[in-house]
Amino acid sequence: MSRNPATAGSRRGIAVLTVLVALGMAVGLGAIFFWAPAANCLVPGNPGQPCVDARPDVIQHIFYVHVPVAWVAYLAFGVVLLGSVVYLKSGKRRWDNLAASSAEIGVLFTGLTLLSGMLWGRPRWGTWWTWDETLTLTFVLFLIYVGYLLFRSMASDPTRGARVAAVIGIVGFVDVPLVHFSMVWWRTLHPAEVVLNPAGPQLPTSELVTMLWMLGVITALYVLLMLLRMRLGRAADTLAELEAAGDEAPAEPAARVGTP
Amino acid sequence: MSNVRKMLVVTAKDLRSEARAKEIAPPMVLFGLILVFLFTLNFPPGAGRAPVPGPVIGAVGSRELAGAFLWVSLLFAGILGFGRNAAVEREANRIEGLLLAPVDPAALFAGKALANFCYLWALEVVLFPVFIVLFDVPAHLLLPGVLPVALAANVGLAAAGTLFGAASQYVRARELVLPLLLFPIVLPLVLGAERLTASLLTGGGLGPQARWFILMGAFDLAISAIGAVAFEFVVNE
Repeated sequence: MSRNPATAGSRRGIAVLTVLVALGMAVGLGAIFFWAPAANCLVPGNPGQPCVDARPDVIQHIFYVHVPVAWVAYLAFGVVLLGSVVYLKSGKRRWDNLAASSAEIGVLFTGLTLLSGMLWGRPRWGTWWTWDETLTLTFVLFLIYVGYLLFRSMASDPTRGARVAAVIGIVGFVDVPLVHFSMVWWRTLHPAEVVLNPAGPQLPTSELVTMLWMLGVITALYVLLMLLRMRLGRAADTLAELEAAGDEAPAEPAARVGTP
Repeated sequence: MSNVRKMLVVTAKDLRSEARAKEIAPPMVLFGLILVFLFTLNFPPGAGRAPVPGPVIGAVGSRELAGAFLWVSLLFAGILGFGRNAAVEREANRIEGLLLAPVDPAALFAGKALANFCYLWALEVVLFPVFIVLFDVPAHLLLPGVLPVALAANVGLAAAGTLFGAASQYVRARELVLPLLLFPIVLPLVLGAERLTASLLTGGGLGPQARWFILMGAFDLAISAIGAVAFEFVVNE
């Protein structure tokens, strides 16, 4: 298998991407901790104006991970929608593979978003969790796509399971704006205890560059994980086909082992 | 036969079969009663009758809380019916007969959703008066204002329940999977119904919260459209 010319190219691509992501992550971490001044804006200036009173604050560093990870989570669920729609239209396995892989990685990144947000919220807000609309939306998304994965793992017939999962993938993403609005309106009745800093203050160049860099690195990490997970999906499909073929036509008796 | 006629034929078939078997609506209503009763046990006596804002539990007025209890009970009892309504088709392989009939899957979906819609109303006709009595809230505040709220909620709940009820038939542990799929999805709908009911019960009327109807209507429209288009991918072999 390892000498298969068809997979050799993708193998090399994955290896190169792995090295690039690792290097990018190392550079990014260096920038986060030694270059970008992570400041906590205590008194925000007018929109477009720099922060009036900013103090250096180590906790803010987590935002360079939190924001890109959250962005990739939403991107991943968008890809689930794409894969699901095209799979239902075309019936081609690779689109289902794309949707399933992206859902798995999306759940992982949503979990990381929640976790990194909580690590920031505890020292900053004084609480691990608050029913802020963004937090709740992310949590509901997490629940929807964990349900999606659970459904896939429990489907009794893989083809039908894939089709039904595609329907869930579509409904789940269409639900996102509705859940978002319901959260915004719901919160307005109970004024938020915590006022988030408006994003008004302009980011210093070093912070902006670090954020964009990390955005690129984490997105590349998503692509890498997708390539690996989709390769796994293809291998699982091939295995299932071979097993099905083996059941139908028992080949030479010599090939069978374990029969008394 | 037009698609609307076919849809009504499917609904009539569901309701006739239910009238004979009585295996969906009665357990639903009974479960709803048990849930409302259980929630009442944890509710301060007289809190429903008390003037607004009334006794406060945490930061929430007790009547607001009562509205939330009502919709959680309806959702839980409703899901029992959705699961049964889909399971009876699978258990006797009746779904294959339905698929062989010259009926568009969209009409099949609409017909079954309409049956679920009827079961939800049957549930609510019993539960609304019981809720008024047990929680001791002023009846004129809840009725008739809650009827348009229930209409907006029932359309979306029935459509989502039909789609996911059918979807959950093709997995192991189907009773477990259905609520896990359905509850997060219908959150906007249930939240809207709760907000509107809380506004009614605290004497505010529907006016100040009317925008929730837009959201619930959008949900109803989206889930009905997706259900009608996607139902064939769920039930077809």
